[in-house]
Amino acid sequence: MDKKTVTTISYLSRLKLDGEKEEKITNDLKNIIQFVNQLEEVNTSDIEPLTNPLEKTAKTRDDKVTANNLKEELLEIAPSSNEDYFLVPRVVE
Amino acid sequence: MISEKEISNKEVVQEVYRLINENSHLNAFVTLNEESSIKKAQDLDNNPSDCSLAGIPIAQKDLFCTKGLRTTCGSKILDNFVPPYSATVIENLENADCISIGKTNMDEFAMGSSNETSYFGNVHNPWGDKLVPGGSSGGSASAVAAGIVPAASGTDTGGSIRQPASLCGITGIKPTYGRVSRWGMIAFASSLDQAGPMARTVEDCAMLLNEMCSHDNKDTTSLDEDIPNFEENLNQSLNGRKIGVVKDLDLSSLDNSVLKVYENSLKEYVSLGAELVDISLPNLSLSVPTYYVVAPAECSSNLSRFDGVKFGRRSENPKDLEELYIQTRTEGFGDEVKRRILIGSYVLSAGYYDAYYKKAQQVRRLIKKDFDEAFSNVDVIMTPTTRGPAFEMGSKGSDPIQMYLEDLFTISANLAGLPAMSLPNGSIDNKPIGLQIIGNFLKESTILNFGHMYQTKTNWHMYTPEGLKQ
Repeated sequence: MDKKTVTTISYLSRLKLDGEKEEKITNDLKNIIQFVNQLEEVNTSDIEPLTNPLEKTAKTRDDKVTANNLKEELLEIAPSSNEDYFLVPRVVE
Repeated sequence: MISEKEISNKEVVQEVYRLINENSHLNAFVTLNEESSIKKAQDLDNNPSDCSLAGIPIAQKDLFCTKGLRTTCGSKILDNFVPPYSATVIENLENADCISIGKTNMDEFAMGSSNETSYFGNVHNPWGDKLVPGGSSGGSASAVAAGIVPAASGTDTGGSIRQPASLCGITGIKPTYGRVSRWGMIAFASSLDQAGPMARTVEDCAMLLNEMCSHDNKDTTSLDEDIPNFEENLNQSLNGRKIGVVKDLDLSSLDNSVLKVYENSLKEYVSLGAELVDISLPNLSLSVPTYYVVAPAECSSNLSRFDGVKFGRRSENPKDLEELYIQTRTEGFGDEVKRRILIGSYVLSAGYYDAYYKKAQQVRRLIKKDFDEAFSNVDVIMTPTTRGPAFEMGSKGSDPIQMYLEDLFTISANLAGLPAMSLPNGSIDNKPIGLQIIGNFLKESTILNFGHMYQTKTNWHMYTPEGLKQ
């Protein structure tokens, strides 16, 4: 976990770290990764990963509309919207 | 009293708001729901309801979406978010005619064990003003412990119901993963998150759990299993029932007084007729490092939805879309949330996925297998809930790992998806502490039975910061 890695993962996470904070967070991340590295020593050959405690596949259901259309309510709570869309800064010049 | 008309629903609700104001220094609430609550109470006075929770004031953790009522999840990024719908858990509780008094303070996005990561400030523990209430459901625990409300909702990803219950001297249960719908709960780690009740007694928790559980088509991980009446078996005899005592639990980091409280509880259970059986959970010590790969990975993915486009806070005057995302997230998230997102992005990134994420999922299976084996031989497993009673604010310093170890005993139940409860079982320097009871898959009734029988013999659950509550 070096400065370059932190720069990469903070970009992947769409977060910006500045000066002092970057140093502290880099250090914290180093310690956390070192802490979880103890998993390396566990023998896990032939062990299937457990992704979910239920281990059940998601059930399918009939493709019927069950929820109300909340379009107006959802657009209303958006930081910026018009009658039909969420608005963001111009993407294509 | 309400049914005898000695006091009206409205008077009860007004008293709750008086108590909230009187205890405002606890900072247990982020948003109050006063007008609607008084209206609902009046409606119940005019048209009495025979629903199980009729008129009962309940504080809701600010992680559940509540229609028309601000829901912040303890974060700046959601400080203006008013959901257009309610979580299934909230609907279930409100359909039983409870009154949702307000939204309780919590660690930001439920990431913390002391309530010190909330954007809305620390919550104080009613047992001592400098003491943390635990977290992340710290506001809920504090409000119940202070006697402001009889019950509250909480959520538990690694101990967020049980640890604050222990530190505040109340009872709280995390059900089996899938028992309670996660729809409308703001997601932190989807394979670990589960909602549950927090109250003074096991009996009250059972009553709330009856209403909170449901099969929900809107949550694909919601279990389609029979839901028993959780109040039915509370009084079953414990004669000959088996309690697993983890022999490879590292208790060396606990101080003697914590051990003594724990051992006294086990003795109490023996006097109730239960048998103690040594069990082994050899991979238990790996639960914290496993959790700190799995939970951040899921969090980094879940929290990518907070981008300032569709809801919540947006940064001002971004020059382009990229800057809108980055600035919004950088300004909106606190340090602990950022740390976990970064760890998650790291362990999921190309080249590291197998070494960390896959490895942790494999160890997660080993932890679950240990429990499967143990439960072939015992009814419940008991451990202390926490390593000690409530600690002082700021005392864990700036090393995040010290805080992560706070959940040493609670995390494994989340990794394995098992139900687990904390109930008050002693006091150290006038600070409460809890006992953890872990049950097998879907065996909430069993742990509630063990918990309730303990509360018929002891009165730790009746102690309040002011003394014994009669």
